[in-house]
Amino acid sequence: MNKDVHKLLRIKRYEIPSSDYFERFLDEFHDRQRADLIRRPTLHIFFDRVLSAFPDFQVPRLAYAGVAAAAVLLSATILFTQQQAEPTRSFALNNSPAVDVLPASQVDQRSPLSMSPDLPPHYVLEARPVSYETPYSF
Amino acid sequence: MAELEAKEEISDEDLVARTQGGDPRAFDALVRKYSSRLYGLVYNMTSNHEDTNDLLQDIFSNAYRSIKGFRGKSSFYTWLHTIATNMTINFLKKRSRNYRMSLDDVDSGVQNDPEFIELTSGPDARREVNLKELQQRLNEAMMKLSNDHRAVVTMFDIQGMPHAEIGKILGISEGTVRSRLFYAHRQLQNYLQEFLAA
Repeated sequence: MNKDVHKLLRIKRYEIPSSDYFERFLDEFHDRQRADLIRRPTLHIFFDRVLSAFPDFQVPRLAYAGVAAAAVLLSATILFTQQQAEPTRSFALNNSPAVDVLPASQVDQRSPLSMSPDLPPHYVLEARPVSYETPYSF
Repeated sequence: MAELEAKEEISDEDLVARTQGGDPRAFDALVRKYSSRLYGLVYNMTSNHEDTNDLLQDIFSNAYRSIKGFRGKSSFYTWLHTIATNMTINFLKKRSRNYRMSLDDVDSGVQNDPEFIELTSGPDARREVNLKELQQRLNEAMMKLSNDHRAVVTMFDIQGMPHAEIGKILGISEGTVRSRLFYAHRQLQNYLQEFLAA
């Protein structure tokens, strides 16, 4: 350490503001805090009040990881349930009574009711038989 | 609170706990206790009184907002100085290069300081020193240092903090503190050659 430089720098301790500066400083600090409070969004103030009502409440460190893991698990469960429902629907479609497929040019020439007179009428919505809809599909 | 403080010294831990419990007067006591010291830290890093005042207000506001998260892993003193140093260094990174120095007056007590007397009127003194000129040159020299070096010099040379404390505040090892001081002193020696004894 350079002692002369050190001594010279120590002189900077004497650069200080006027004596009443620190007395005014606290008043200014209070004024700024009040001004900040007015400027802050109501939602922030509401959250602060809720938090101050439960001063001991802390979000545990691993809570965020737990929530993320639960979200992943939930998504996986939903996907798995959907996949389980798929084969049932395919089975139902494969075993549904055959429907005549007509060339587009002949569609207007026959009534839909006369397509297969032996089968009971059924309704098709977006190419999927309504009665075979599984309750989980959305 | 001020009267209470005068009667008995209340520990920082106690004042922090009271602030965390919702007593804003306890935080006022902490502001009174540390404003002068933090002023020195920020002022010697910025060389500007107005910037120091604004920054100091922001530092205490930030500390007040964050104090609920203070768990006492370090002392309150270290925690507050860490906030102050980080905010000041961030401010300096954004500040325009064309800023102007706005210096406080040098307290007349310096004339009686043994180190000042030794430097300016001892047998080895190179020249008669004009106090204003010395102040100006010291600040110019400080502002030529990098922010990191200036922080270390301010805390060690001007505020008299030990190396270990500086290391904790800046999150660096004691060895790094010493090395930064060494390089900063070497730079300052060049800038202040004319004021140093032969």
